[in-house]
Amino acid sequence: MTDEIGINQLKRRDFLRAGLVFGAGAAGLAAGYAAVPDAFARAVYAAKQEGITNDHVLVMIQLAGGNDGLRTLVPLADPVLHDLRPKLAGSMVSQALPLNKSYGLNHNLPGIKALWDKGKVAIVQGVGYPNPTFSHFESIRIWETGDPTRRQVDGWLGRTLAQAYDSNGHPLTGCACGATDVPGALRDLQATMTVIQNQKTFGFTGGSEVEAAVGALYKGTPGIYGALFDTAIATATETVATLRTSSTGYQAMADYTDNVKLVYSSKNQLAAALQLAAQLIVTGTGVKLLHVTLGGFDTHYTELSRHDDLMGYLDSAVSAFYKDLAAHGKADKVLIATWSEFGRRPKENASGGTDHGAAAPLLLIGDPAKGGLYGEEPSLTALDGTGNLKYAVDFRSVYQEILSGHLGADSKGILGAGFDTVHFLKSPVSAA
Amino acid sequence: MRRWLTGGMAAAPPARKGITRRQALSAAVAAGVGVGAVRLLGGALQNLGRTGTVVASGNSGGDWVSPLGSESARVMHLLRRATFGYTPAQLDSALSEGFSRTVDRLIETHPAEPPVLAEASTPGGRFPVAQLQQWWIDHMLATPTPFAERMTLFWHGHFTSDYRKAGDNTFMFWQNLTWRRMGMTDLRSMLMKVTTDPAMLRYLDLATSVASNPNENYSRELMELFSMGPGNYSEEDVRQGALALTGWQLPRPDSFDTVTVGAKTRRLPVYDSQKSGVFNPRRGYSGSVTFLGQIGRLDAEGVVDRILAQPATAPFIAGRVAQQFINGRPSASLTTSLGDAFRRSHYDLKTLMKALFTSDDFKAASSYRSLVKSPTEFMVHTARALGGPHPSKLIATSGAGMGQILFDPPDVGGWPNNESWISSNTVIERVNFVTAALAQARGSLPSAAYAATHHLDGVVGAQTAALFNQAADERAQWFIVLASPEFQLK
Repeated sequence: MTDEIGINQLKRRDFLRAGLVFGAGAAGLAAGYAAVPDAFARAVYAAKQEGITNDHVLVMIQLAGGNDGLRTLVPLADPVLHDLRPKLAGSMVSQALPLNKSYGLNHNLPGIKALWDKGKVAIVQGVGYPNPTFSHFESIRIWETGDPTRRQVDGWLGRTLAQAYDSNGHPLTGCACGATDVPGALRDLQATMTVIQNQKTFGFTGGSEVEAAVGALYKGTPGIYGALFDTAIATATETVATLRTSSTGYQAMADYTDNVKLVYSSKNQLAAALQLAAQLIVTGTGVKLLHVTLGGFDTHYTELSRHDDLMGYLDSAVSAFYKDLAAHGKADKVLIATWSEFGRRPKENASGGTDHGAAAPLLLIGDPAKGGLYGEEPSLTALDGTGNLKYAVDFRSVYQEILSGHLGADSKGILGAGFDTVHFLKSPVSAA
Repeated sequence: MRRWLTGGMAAAPPARKGITRRQALSAAVAAGVGVGAVRLLGGALQNLGRTGTVVASGNSGGDWVSPLGSESARVMHLLRRATFGYTPAQLDSALSEGFSRTVDRLIETHPAEPPVLAEASTPGGRFPVAQLQQWWIDHMLATPTPFAERMTLFWHGHFTSDYRKAGDNTFMFWQNLTWRRMGMTDLRSMLMKVTTDPAMLRYLDLATSVASNPNENYSRELMELFSMGPGNYSEEDVRQGALALTGWQLPRPDSFDTVTVGAKTRRLPVYDSQKSGVFNPRRGYSGSVTFLGQIGRLDAEGVVDRILAQPATAPFIAGRVAQQFINGRPSASLTTSLGDAFRRSHYDLKTLMKALFTSDDFKAASSYRSLVKSPTEFMVHTARALGGPHPSKLIATSGAGMGQILFDPPDVGGWPNNESWISSNTVIERVNFVTAALAQARGSLPSAAYAATHHLDGVVGAQTAALFNQAADERAQWFIVLASPEFQLK
């Protein structure tokens, strides 16, 4: 097995580039495959200009696994918390960073606290939906589709892409950074979106000949997956071309580090994903909806250290991202919003962790946010029949404010109904 | 130009200009592509503005022409789905046996044990997961019983655990051995085994769940993901099940080894042999529970038996298997009939798998190329087709960008499949893997023409046929075969 080489060594040697010849005809076959939108696509794009034309950007950060709201926005003065959480409550209350007399941020969120002090953090408390499910997968789907009745199959951001933007030929309008598959929130039959796990390795190692041959290979592919494959290849090639230009025009103006102590189940390089998001935003790629994920929040055991680590990681990545955007003069365009499928049970379990819960706070961060606490304080004494916090704000009220207030999209058309308003934005976007 | 390749696609309709996405969608629906299937593709038809006429032809009459009427095509279809593809020798022997006898052989042959992994005796299981991944891939490539490896991968995604939270790679190694040995036994034995599996005891926290304050994680996933599916139990069942399942702990180590890591000295467990979890009655709940409609004292075996008594269990497991071996959305009638056979046989997995492979649905035209190969299947099939030294290290390091890292599933649901394997990121990684695999396959390659007929069944789309025919040499032809959409499917 001494002949074996890893893929990275192969890239350095790059000997295949010279090795593959697809014949003169391949160039002809490949010619119909264009890396830039053809005239027809451009016409469609022009026709859609009456849609959203502002340059506002939304970055959704998924805290996957069910983030513990009570350890994110900590109740400082509720004695019941100590009864429910004899192991977990003490340090989290004494170390919290106070926002007012009643609430403080997790002590590992100093960067977000600094943004709060500047009025750039809105926190909506008690967010959830009626009859909560405690299944990760069902609840993730409900949050992704924006539909607690579970009839909708497309994601709420995917529907936004399809209805309010033209992603056709502009696959970077919607982008998942740091992932390998399309997140459910961005999925829609009628929209194109890009997935980039790591921009350093996002490209064809076989060179331009391979790229052209693959483009020709994936045209009119039959079968139920045919269009999906063809679109993925076309999107990949367009994105490779865009990244090539965009990476030369971008220099990070903040310290993104993934070197923080990573807890066992954080499979996501959040800082790297947010740095790619910043690159896409500041280089004018036309990106509008971004999705990144930080996993590991399913803290059924030894939550004390694990959740603190995750908060610290979130804080350093988000702080660097904001600083970078501000240095590039883009901070006023970008709203960062966290989401998670549920909060956690107020009462701790025997493993030093917490089981699946219901309502939890969401963070909205950035210049567009109007700093402050919104929603209702969840009561630790009036729990529901499963021992969980009752929700006060429907999660779609938050989506609605983001859609109509920040993006300038038709929220009712996308969400299918109107919801109670929560005005956590400074000034609603002017209709464009 | 060689013309021996038959275009497998129905003739494309005349080019239409300016087709809209909605027109294409309605064309697809009119052509009989199920609305559910089309809608769930998640962005499938989005790019028609650019390649409108071509995509429209692919969807409005352009399904693959199924060759499954022929015995040899059925054999290749079976081996792609049940054994990660094949070498020419493996295919020859199956072709000479025929479809039915091959099914019997796959199901009845006792799984070959993989070679010993010396690192697995490292104290605390503190050896790199890459060694575990490469060891398994080596065995996938070398084993005389590849169906056992396919089932091991199925169970690894079903009763899933990840090495990060298990925190001991020896436990992950044991779990892999367990799924191989038990993969074709019966569901009751497997549910008992998974409940007390050391990696699982850690992964879903049962090892720290005690009667005074139970942890719900395992109880919930045991019903939601491992046996019954959501909607078939209540939240109260989750809590009562958690209570009944308390008391299990990790097995006691045979000895400890003191290891110095940096400035720290740690006492790490050493196991002389594979072990299951142990029950500690002092931590367990001994009272009565109300679980799935019955009241009484219940131990772990009792919990499993209550679950097996539920009508939802057999069709749920049948559906999970059908999704991986027949098509992404198996019909209710199929899961019902497979579920019935499964339950009647007391949850015998050989009965279930035989019923599945010999069902009409398995060889139906609509099942042909109706599944997307998982990254591991795609890479192992590539290596088998190319022959030569096993590129195990390349395979082990290439899965991540395609969305599949062995022993490290994305979450407790295991790996999503089919359309989830297709994104801009994963298609680049698949193509790059082909590039790398061909670079490693030095010297002369097997016949690419054989690959087109025996790995792609000679059923190829117009683009694949044209590019193959025009490729300048064997290496370029192999690239077209392995990077083609046809080869990504099974």
